[in-house]
Amino acid sequence: MDKEKSLSEKESLALIAATIQAAKGGYYHDSGLGAILWGTAISMAGFLTFFTLYFKWEIKFDWWFLVLFALIPQIFISVREMKEKVVRTHTGRALDIVWTIFGVSIFAAIFYMYLAPHMLMKFMEEDGRILFSKVIATGEISDYRLTFVPSPGSLFLLLYALPTIITGVVQKFWPMIIGAIITYLFFIISLYTRNPIDQLLMGVSGLVNWLIPGLILRNNYRKARNNAHV
Amino acid sequence: MFKELDPILHSQLRLAAMSLLISVKEAEFTYIREKTNATAGNLSVQLNKLKDVGYIDITKQFKDNYPQTLCKITTKGIDAFEQYVQDLQVYLNKE
Repeated sequence: MDKEKSLSEKESLALIAATIQAAKGGYYHDSGLGAILWGTAISMAGFLTFFTLYFKWEIKFDWWFLVLFALIPQIFISVREMKEKVVRTHTGRALDIVWTIFGVSIFAAIFYMYLAPHMLMKFMEEDGRILFSKVIATGEISDYRLTFVPSPGSLFLLLYALPTIITGVVQKFWPMIIGAIITYLFFIISLYTRNPIDQLLMGVSGLVNWLIPGLILRNNYRKARNNAHV
Repeated sequence: MFKELDPILHSQLRLAAMSLLISVKEAEFTYIREKTNATAGNLSVQLNKLKDVGYIDITKQFKDNYPQTLCKITTKGIDAFEQYVQDLQVYLNKE
């Protein structure tokens, strides 16, 4: 640009519009690595849990603990992306907050999943009530303790879709919008299905909600970087 | 009677830099240079003029042992930019 070049009024407005447009697009801040990482972790945990339950594998390990290990590479990814960032947008900051709250909500949901039934049983005992279960065929009655909230998978599917659809709509990124809509459909289906199928739905949601959009983001990011270096 | 357009903003590179900074929270010098296709020397001079009138804040720091210059629009800068756009609209509507 020329030094101190003065402008006509029309040129000024055109310059403002063009510059704001340039700031909006063509610069991919998201490398897609986070989405690929979490998409892979959630899919693996969902599918492995499904296989374990469906084929009655003799494994006592809860595959969902594997997801916690994804936190370590996520820290490295976040630090690297922060270093590479040359511009911080208001939208980017808002989306970072949405994803942070999502992470906190997932941990809160895990606490809810384990604690809520325990507290319900405790309150029932305080009220002098107890649950029994009866085997209809034999008439056998035994104590029944709730250990899980009903359909916990549905709760997680509902949470998975939320940050993804917000990001997709704000960034006008269709793969995330479609992935989130599919995950919302899985939420409805999961209300009518048993736990093994819920786990399968969670595994597939990891693919459509994060892994596939993440791979597309990664591809866009690489293209944008290559173009910038031409 | 037309109001005079803000002379600080009515210049191609300064207006481009302000248009970029109004749409982001903060940006590195290199990002503004890339988007405006300006030379480092010219951009530096123009950004300092914007800083001198209080339209932007410039923070110099080190990132990974390299100097980093961060620019951020101020409230005064936002007001001035909005006023500039309003004044432009008045000009264009009168044509």
